[in-house]
Amino acid sequence: MFIASQLMNGLASSALLLLYSLGVVMIMGHMSVVNMAHGECIMLGAYVCYYLYTVAGVPYLLSLMMSFFITALFGAAVERLIIRKLYGKTAETLLATYALSLIIKQLVNLVCGSELKYVAVPFDGNISVFGVTVPLYNIFIIVITAMVLFATWLIFYKTPFGMKMRAATGNRSMTECLGINCRAVDTLTFAYGVGLAGFAGAVLAPIRGVSPFMGASYVTDSFMNVCVGGLQSLPGTALSSLLIGQSTSILGGIWNEVNAKMLVFLIVVVMIRFRPDGLFKKERR
Amino acid sequence: MLGKLKKLPVNRYIDAGILVFLLVFPLFANNYRVGFMGKTAAYMIFALSLDLLWGYTGLMSFGHAVLFGLGGYMVGLSFTFSGGVPDFMSRMGITELPWFASVLQNEYIASLLGIIIPGALAAILGYFIFYSKVKGIFFSLITMALAQIFETFFANQSAITNGTSGLGGLPRRFFGIELRVKPFYYLTVGVVILVYALCLRLSCSRFGKALTSIREDENRLSFVGYNPAKFKIAVFAISGMLAGLAGMLFVPFNGMISPTELGINLSTSVLVWIAIGGRGNLTGAMLGTLIVNWLQTLLSEFSADIWPLVLGGMILAVIFVIPTGIVGKLKELQYNANARKTLREISQKEELPNE
Repeated sequence: MFIASQLMNGLASSALLLLYSLGVVMIMGHMSVVNMAHGECIMLGAYVCYYLYTVAGVPYLLSLMMSFFITALFGAAVERLIIRKLYGKTAETLLATYALSLIIKQLVNLVCGSELKYVAVPFDGNISVFGVTVPLYNIFIIVITAMVLFATWLIFYKTPFGMKMRAATGNRSMTECLGINCRAVDTLTFAYGVGLAGFAGAVLAPIRGVSPFMGASYVTDSFMNVCVGGLQSLPGTALSSLLIGQSTSILGGIWNEVNAKMLVFLIVVVMIRFRPDGLFKKERR
Repeated sequence: MLGKLKKLPVNRYIDAGILVFLLVFPLFANNYRVGFMGKTAAYMIFALSLDLLWGYTGLMSFGHAVLFGLGGYMVGLSFTFSGGVPDFMSRMGITELPWFASVLQNEYIASLLGIIIPGALAAILGYFIFYSKVKGIFFSLITMALAQIFETFFANQSAITNGTSGLGGLPRRFFGIELRVKPFYYLTVGVVILVYALCLRLSCSRFGKALTSIREDENRLSFVGYNPAKFKIAVFAISGMLAGLAGMLFVPFNGMISPTELGINLSTSVLVWIAIGGRGNLTGAMLGTLIVNWLQTLLSEFSADIWPLVLGGMILAVIFVIPTGIVGKLKELQYNANARKTLREISQKEELPNE
């Protein structure tokens, strides 16, 4: 009984982890850009959701979509203004995105205030699954994450844009020779990644609350997760989210969540010694 | 002698200027300001240690504050335990000190541990990271996670570390010497000079050359027959020990230590100081630390709100306008001026045939 409820909690937290890591897969895996402002993108999405859903009364699912589009627009602007000039310069990108995160955080803090804002849980109530009472919202998180994962997979592998994007990361100069505008592809990829972060923020808002400083805790978690999953691979990231989310939840249930995180981190460090490309990376020919 | 002095790169003059400034500062300032400058001096050691790692070797650590904070916590815990069970513990109903307290109660051992433990942690972590051939960015990500986890861990162990409020009321002691503000300040400046000399010596040695070649092209170094992993582990350990030392000097000036001193914010801040000053020449680390910390106190005296915006703007400006930092730009200017001068001399000596 205890194990079953921990497993259900673990599934929900794995789904959340996957949801806010997907943007990192796009940006870090496919563009080799480490976006230190990822947490702030999540935060922006959460604020959009708060203002649309709680303040303006827009339906929740519509606010989710709007969070995605508004943060994606913001991401496109950031790519055009800052990231574009720094491709290939890792240290500079890290610092520039850190500067961006400082500025966004402080601007939001000054404009919206620093207090925690609450968003009502949209699908309230509990449901019984396999004899375990689970909040309905957790089920919603799992379902919506699966949908987003599926949509991302579709975009990756079944659309012309996805094909261009994979081509641009695989062999950039050849792709350019074939007449594809790689710069436009870059902008769209970055915007999509930031949009996913915003979407995740909107999903997080009802359970974690909204504040200017909410982003910090998600950044490193998602980075580690994507490293374990093997940077570019969607199924790899999904599996590693499941692994990390479940092990943190089960260890946290019997021990202490912080100690569990510490242990998982140690395992990741040891793993990187032996599988530097992540657990699930396909062997290259 | 004079000719030799003139040939020195411009940054060595700045170094001398900074050190002289640190030495004469207490003559013109009150104790509060001296305490602040003492903190900045400790931060300078910290920045120098990271400059060895990032500027020379190209390893961008996002968790260097962990090593700094561990050094600080060693002495902090030592002072806290030295008077028996501290107040915050007895308030929780704990009557006995943890098992490692008897080791830390000895001040000298605790001070040594403050240098050894950060070094050892760096070496162990380095062994796992550098022996697998992971790319540069992984090092940043793992150290970032390290900082995040240590911060939450130390905040969580409130039975030992007093949680987020941290250990307070710490005396101004270093290796068993208790001093007032100004003498302690001079002690710290002395350590700054020693660490600076050590870093300068290291960077000019063959070891330093190997580090620079790791930054430039790691594969080539291994083709020549060196093992880059060993050099990386060694420099990470040295840098860790220096960071621990910096933490031990910072805590007495600060009077307290809390988990923010080993978190991700401080880790990133140091990177920013070095980036603004200019990396890979030691001067930039010291100058950047001085400028940013001084500006921060100056600005936060009338408005705390604008500082993050100013800092963010400064970082972006440095990246887009002077990517090599202030000192890097100055060195470039000097190099260009010298080159122009040499060219002029050559063209004056021999008339070029086609002119």
